[in-house]
Amino acid sequence: MSLAIAGAFVAVASVSPTAWQKKKTAKPQATIAPSFAKNVKPFIEKYCTTCHAGPNPPAKILLSGLISSDQILKDQTLWDRVVRNVSSSHMPPLGMPQPSKLERSTLVTWLETTLSGNCKLKDPGKVTMRRLNRQEYNNTVRDLVGLDLKLADDFPSDDVGYGFDNIGDVLSISPLLMEKYLHAAEVIASRAIVVPDVKPVHFDGENLKTTPGASVSEQNQILFFSNGQAYFETYFSMAGAYKFRAKAYAEQAGPEPAKMAFMIDGKAVSTVEVKAVLAHPQEYDLDINLDAGKHRFAVAFANDYYRAGPPAEDRNLIVQSVEMVRPIPKETALPESHKNIIFEKPTDANWRPVAKKVLARFAGRAFRRPATVDELSRLMQVADYVNKDGQPFERSIQLGVQAILSSPHFLFRVEADNQSTALNGYELASRLSYFLWGSMPDSELFQLAATGQIAKADVLKSQVRRMLKDSRSDSLADNFAEEWLNLRKLALINPDPAQFKDWDENLRTCMMTETKLFFNGIVHNDRSVIDFINAKYTYINQQLAKHYGIDGVTGDEFRKVSLVGTPRAGVLTQGSILTLTSNPTRTSPVKRGKWVLEQILNAPLPPPPPNVGVLPDDGKQIAAASLRQKMEIHRRNPMCATCHKKMDPLGFSLENYDATGRWRSKDGNDPIDSSGVLPDGTKFKGSEELCNILIQKKTDFVKGLAEKLLTYAIGRGVESYDRCSVDEIALACESKGYHFSSLIDGIVLSDPFRKKRVVGGKGK
Amino acid sequence: MSNLIPRRTFLKGIGTLMALPLLEGMLPLTALASSAKIRTNRMAFMFVPNGISMPQWTPSGEGAGFELPEVLAPLNVIKGQFSVLTGLAQHNAFDLGDGPGDHARSAAAWLTGVHPRKTAGADIKNGISADQVAAGKLGHLTPFPSIEIGCERGAEAGNCDSGYSCAYSSNISWRSETTPVAKEINPRLVFERLFGNGDHGEAVESRIMRSRYNKSVLDFVLEDASKLKSQIGIRDQRKLDEYFTAVREIEERLAKFDRITASAGMNGIRVPSGVPQDYAAHIRLMGDMMILAFQADLTRVATFMFANEGSNRSYPMVGVPEGHHDMSHHGTDPVKLKKKQQIDQFHVTQLAYVLGKMASIKEPEGSLLDNSMVVYGGGIGDGDRHNHDDLPILLAGKGAGSLKPGAHMVYPKNTPLNNLFLSLLDRMGVPTETLGDSTGKLQHLF
Repeated sequence: MSLAIAGAFVAVASVSPTAWQKKKTAKPQATIAPSFAKNVKPFIEKYCTTCHAGPNPPAKILLSGLISSDQILKDQTLWDRVVRNVSSSHMPPLGMPQPSKLERSTLVTWLETTLSGNCKLKDPGKVTMRRLNRQEYNNTVRDLVGLDLKLADDFPSDDVGYGFDNIGDVLSISPLLMEKYLHAAEVIASRAIVVPDVKPVHFDGENLKTTPGASVSEQNQILFFSNGQAYFETYFSMAGAYKFRAKAYAEQAGPEPAKMAFMIDGKAVSTVEVKAVLAHPQEYDLDINLDAGKHRFAVAFANDYYRAGPPAEDRNLIVQSVEMVRPIPKETALPESHKNIIFEKPTDANWRPVAKKVLARFAGRAFRRPATVDELSRLMQVADYVNKDGQPFERSIQLGVQAILSSPHFLFRVEADNQSTALNGYELASRLSYFLWGSMPDSELFQLAATGQIAKADVLKSQVRRMLKDSRSDSLADNFAEEWLNLRKLALINPDPAQFKDWDENLRTCMMTETKLFFNGIVHNDRSVIDFINAKYTYINQQLAKHYGIDGVTGDEFRKVSLVGTPRAGVLTQGSILTLTSNPTRTSPVKRGKWVLEQILNAPLPPPPPNVGVLPDDGKQIAAASLRQKMEIHRRNPMCATCHKKMDPLGFSLENYDATGRWRSKDGNDPIDSSGVLPDGTKFKGSEELCNILIQKKTDFVKGLAEKLLTYAIGRGVESYDRCSVDEIALACESKGYHFSSLIDGIVLSDPFRKKRVVGGKGK
Repeated sequence: MSNLIPRRTFLKGIGTLMALPLLEGMLPLTALASSAKIRTNRMAFMFVPNGISMPQWTPSGEGAGFELPEVLAPLNVIKGQFSVLTGLAQHNAFDLGDGPGDHARSAAAWLTGVHPRKTAGADIKNGISADQVAAGKLGHLTPFPSIEIGCERGAEAGNCDSGYSCAYSSNISWRSETTPVAKEINPRLVFERLFGNGDHGEAVESRIMRSRYNKSVLDFVLEDASKLKSQIGIRDQRKLDEYFTAVREIEERLAKFDRITASAGMNGIRVPSGVPQDYAAHIRLMGDMMILAFQADLTRVATFMFANEGSNRSYPMVGVPEGHHDMSHHGTDPVKLKKKQQIDQFHVTQLAYVLGKMASIKEPEGSLLDNSMVVYGGGIGDGDRHNHDDLPILLAGKGAGSLKPGAHMVYPKNTPLNNLFLSLLDRMGVPTETLGDSTGKLQHLF
């Protein structure tokens, strides 16, 4: 990408208002036709249609037969690609006649203006119904019931589209996932709500697990033929006094009676002598106070005895059954989740109206809009079904909650398909909360949704302020930043331990923490987004400081540290990015260059041609060459050169950082050469000069960031009809000092975020 | 312990002791009993990415009694029980004008024989895969129509491959054109899915009541879904259809197999505790899960991805600290070629473990391997060239007496791989005339 684009972008910005004004009096074609005939058609015919013609044009881009500018407006997607490739000097390719800088920028400006020309008619697009992804599911459950269960950690991965894992079209439901949803709903309901049940729970060989030394008989009794355990593990939703009762006897032998230990979470809490024999089994009790949470209860045989005979002496313990008696629920011992859901206690007479109120409130929050009359009456059928069995009120509610959490209205974010362009208040509240929090709306948002206030621009803006300050906005770092910066790849890289001696899992975690804290710092302090490129500060602890060669940072906790006086700045010189763009055994200037182009400069390259990796057969010359020399040989091939001329110099300027981000002045015995020349002739050296170059292209960066945030916010790919919105968002951010919140404001106020295409798809 | 017979001894008595060093123990008797009556056939597809070192994979001779080349050497233990099939191609994995993206495309096409639509997000489109054709027809016979397992999560960052959605490179099993079947990578979760989740703090009578209540939940949500359908657009309806299909499948399973799952007490079987750090142990444990599912007749169809296509995992345990994908682009560099070969051999070593174990498990007629058809390989030939003809394909097992393995079969160049699938589907009792780009059944298949 050359500097010309930045110029072109500014030109568009200043031109478009005039274009709009003119449109009022004249048809667009009339205004733009002269330059189309004078500049556009000739350019295309002179530089493009040599190749992009015929039945099988390269990249399926057919540019021949261009007669009028209408054709351009009809195929915006195609012409978007043309603008991108011509403005980045990717096209025409090296070795073909090249247009002058002026010709190039004239074409780009004209196309940009034309394509943005109908901004007033823009289509807000249609978002495919989005299923909650794993993170959203976890967060929503946390905020809905107040239990941070993280059950979705065991769900299958969410597929990624357009770089993000919250894209409606790509998020599918397989039977495997559906099973997990159903199971999770049951688990959540059972942990959130305590059902008073004083009836003992019975265990025997059918539902106790055994360790070696114990086995299960045909009568489902536990036979301890040696020192072993029989156990169960379960979630105790309530703290309190529990009673465990084991019915047992022993085949006695040796000098003492058999001994049985009661164990909680692997520790023996009481040991009893089992003197009973087969004819008269006895009951042995353990009374114990347990906290709420997961516990493992076991009975164990503690003194196995065997002496080979004759006659053989063999002591064995037999446990016939175990019973657990749960405490009677006390109001104070009930978990918060229980009290929040069942906010009113019923009497026998009014259980139905109370159940209806309880389920209505829970469904309204879970569905993120009030439950309908029909939904409520069907939920009450579920509750009645349980009630008919004589089960307690709480069990009815539990099953209702389970049904709600299994419903498509909970699992999907539904937006009705109707004749209205504007989203309704609830739909908008959900878009906002899932964008900024990765979770459901809170009560304030629900209230604004109910009154419709939320649709007002100033209300939206003030909510953005409030929500970005809330810790739930960390989800932007956990989801958006992880995906935008490719941070999830960090988990998959394994630097060669032989070469990188200080590499360990802890360092990997520290790197991730640094970048996320850095991102969160920008969000919470509403810093300029340009900090991503050139901030002279970061967040590190002792281990990372040592890795970077920075003195004076001690201890494990992360803190903000100045980078003034060091060559590091922004995200690009953070260990995470430098490592995830490297190979396990060496740096990869190509991957680093590609990362800078895609993530910072918003100039993704077309993918490499087939047969990549095959360097021209220059024999021994290559075997002996340094990495840089190899890359230079590579670039002699014109097919490779077009892209590598852009990637390689960017990546080589970071060569002073090794494959784990440590500073180095030599690679093996060779001194590091971090110099490079950009396709436009700009010479530069090292990461600090790279930073200066990136700063000059900050317009591209902001536009790219706007596009990515918009994609993340609306859960669909940014299309050609979103061009005007992206331009407006980026421009507004620029004019307001690049504050992070100004970017978010731009997005939540944009049409793609606030509106939807009406049925029929005209998008008016 | 005089008057009690441990269950283990009891099982031994009826001659069905399972040789499971890791999962010593027993299975629900109901399941074992039902599979004992008819000789069942199973179908498994095991996938490895980034191509294979073909010179060290392809046997030099043709026909029976071929010499094992270097990469296949670990399979010596089950020599004669598998064939190598050379010359098969997945034509639709080639670019056909779509440009780069061979990794994603080849994984998507491997079992479908369909050219996947190039898209990074919206409108993913592929075809139904061979395993799902079988699962669709045979699914009603077992609790699980099919199982999908692997060792790597779907990629969660960035574009997966040159403008292709990650759905393509991390799934080989496709239920329909638009729905990939997600895979499970945690052996513990596979186990819990097959045998219940093991929260046993519950009495039998309440378990029965619970399953009745769970059915009422399904009724509720199915009605929710059918009412919702009329309020949403066409694309949304497609998503809702996925929901419907999934819920119905679960409902059917509950109706038919409730009794089996209820009796699937699992005393003595050691439950896997999670994902092993060691990659070889991970692959083997997932293999154990697949074997267990076949053995207990919980399913007859499985797909197993050792890694996602394009994976850049490193293999320090065999002296390759570099990434697999990087090494597969060997550029004929002898060092990289050697490393790629070591990776291939590592994978085949794990395959040998799985096949060897299947061969050691006795069933009423022959071994578990004798009553299975296991396809091993990938959708790329040479990782450097990204070619999709001359694919590395190995077929193990006797298909319940329908196959005679032990040969190196060489087919005419560009014979569709899907022809093999049609032949295997025949042997599963699911005769299918066309699938993807098939041109007929594979002739001279043993």
